[in-house]
Amino acid sequence: MFLQTLVTGLSIGGIYALMAVGYSLVFSVLGFSNFAHGAVIMLGAYLGLALAVKLHLGIGLVLVGSIVGSGILAVMNERLAYSVLRRRKAPSLYLMISAMGCSVFLENLVYATIGSRFYAFPEFFSRQVVQFAGSSLSLLDLAAFIVAFLAILALHVFVTRTKTGIAIRAGVCDMTMCSLMGVNVDRLIMVVFLLAGAFAGVAGVFLGVKYLVYPTMGWVTNKAYIAAVIGGLGSLPGALVGGLILGVVETFVSTYVSSVMRDVFSFTLLIALLVWMPNGLFGSDTEEKV
Amino acid sequence: MAADVVRIGHTVSLTGGASMWGQSEARAIDMLVKKINDAGGVLGKKIEVVRYDNRNDAVEAVNVAKRLVSDGVVAVIGPAQSGNSIASAPVLEKASVPMVVTTATNPYVTMDQRSGKVRPFAFRPCFIDPFQGTVAARFAITDLNAKTGAILYDVGSDYGQWLAKYFEEAFVAKGGKIVAKEAFRSEELDYRAQLGKMKGLNPDVIFIPTSQKEAAMAAKQARDLGINAVLLGTDNWGSPDLIDLGGSAIDGGYFVNLADLADPDIKDFVAEYKAAFNEDPVLPNPVMAQDALLMIVDSIKRANSVEGEKIAKAMETIKDLKVTSGPLTISAADHNPFNKPAVIQKVDVKNKTFQFVKKYVSVE
Repeated sequence: MFLQTLVTGLSIGGIYALMAVGYSLVFSVLGFSNFAHGAVIMLGAYLGLALAVKLHLGIGLVLVGSIVGSGILAVMNERLAYSVLRRRKAPSLYLMISAMGCSVFLENLVYATIGSRFYAFPEFFSRQVVQFAGSSLSLLDLAAFIVAFLAILALHVFVTRTKTGIAIRAGVCDMTMCSLMGVNVDRLIMVVFLLAGAFAGVAGVFLGVKYLVYPTMGWVTNKAYIAAVIGGLGSLPGALVGGLILGVVETFVSTYVSSVMRDVFSFTLLIALLVWMPNGLFGSDTEEKV
Repeated sequence: MAADVVRIGHTVSLTGGASMWGQSEARAIDMLVKKINDAGGVLGKKIEVVRYDNRNDAVEAVNVAKRLVSDGVVAVIGPAQSGNSIASAPVLEKASVPMVVTTATNPYVTMDQRSGKVRPFAFRPCFIDPFQGTVAARFAITDLNAKTGAILYDVGSDYGQWLAKYFEEAFVAKGGKIVAKEAFRSEELDYRAQLGKMKGLNPDVIFIPTSQKEAAMAAKQARDLGINAVLLGTDNWGSPDLIDLGGSAIDGGYFVNLADLADPDIKDFVAEYKAAFNEDPVLPNPVMAQDALLMIVDSIKRANSVEGEKIAKAMETIKDLKVTSGPLTISAADHNPFNKPAVIQKVDVKNKTFQFVKKYVSVE
């Protein structure tokens, strides 16, 4: 049972990590919590669903389509809602409130146009189960975990090894200085949202395949946001580690203590951790956090 | 308020997770109201339905109940869910407006839990959860030969909590053993931690008293963990999209329902609904909503009045009334129907239907 619990915890944590990356990316550059991320994940899931059901595409193409679509949506979201606030040098709190507004707007837009019913993806992975040492994991969970891990790794390489990545990291340190040095900040921010959106697309498809697709499915990102905070908002390795820790702790508490007490325990952990390490596990020292 | 109409309120989930049933319920009521009005209405007046969306939310349900009272309705149909009904009942009771819930099966919808007395203005046409839980347990033990059972329920829902309790009591009383009773919170998506615990205990059946959404996800996750136990559910499973949502994982699961499309008693209703809307009704709500409307109409006629107290009094004496689901007699003691049958259905994913398995009229 121990191994099964660990495996399940890691697979839940992998999904949290995938979603947490989107929060961390935007936070690291713009310094606000983009609560519209959950809604973009939800739209990514609907987009993937449409590609899978209407066009009968396989999981690979569905992922690609959803990544591209969600990336564009996230960029549009920034252009329409945040860029004006950003140019006016509005405090990050206002950006966060705008993000909450976007999230509620997008959810209700889906309610009004597509409706409130639930949808399921076609079964890409015939319910196959991988067995090892008495514990089982579905093929889908294994695939989701590997993709999540590879995607985060690729992002890490991109941020540390490419010119654009270096510009992003420079922007994280000092945006004004960065623009003085001739970096096109608007383009930089576009790239950040494109990346965050791409991750939302992957997360949306996996969430949809694993669970169901419906307008408020983005709410689960609350957990991912907490994972990002545990890991340290703005830190990519932090998002990965935070996600995995939260997933594993939750699963262990449910299994060995009580499933009803799960959130009591995991949130106690969060509060205690923040008291002890206000910037999370991997966070850099920042004065302002929303 | 026009004096020549009888206003009947309808509090229903037109949006939110239960909207599938809610929409179907609204259609069935409109269909029947038109029929009654075409035949002359009630007490010579036309019926006018005042409908508000309660979004399957207890706070919203209370708001809707208040609005219906201020709109001057003579009686209310709904809500469909036990939690929302229990929340609405005191509001309507204070205003002396009779409430006939559609599919709220918790005993405390018509009974005040604190005082233990019957709520004078709350009625229902459907069976209650102790009966449903007992039917499920009895079916598991006698028909599925189950010796051990596990329960997965939503700790945030009155419906799930009570059904878990009734099932456990009946299952143990019949000689079975409950090896695990695990809960999750509403809006949660992953139950693998809970199911993983059950896996080690290897139960014969897993009882999942939730709506079709949670049931489908639980089924998928259980199969992913390699659990082969038979899945057993309750009337909230009974939505056609259970099959699309659960896919192969839900195949072969059984659940208790209030009505079956194949039931000869409701054949005419199903045909009429299909002719009007070109799809099957989402059972059981539309049938139960029509029953509720017929209870109200009959009581108004017999009371020869639209006063709340008189309607409620008449409702207590409903006997062998022909309603959509069959004959109906209301018990004055607890405002529940006598001998409302329950059906067991089996999920057949290949043919995309629910197969009729058996019908229980009583569990004595």
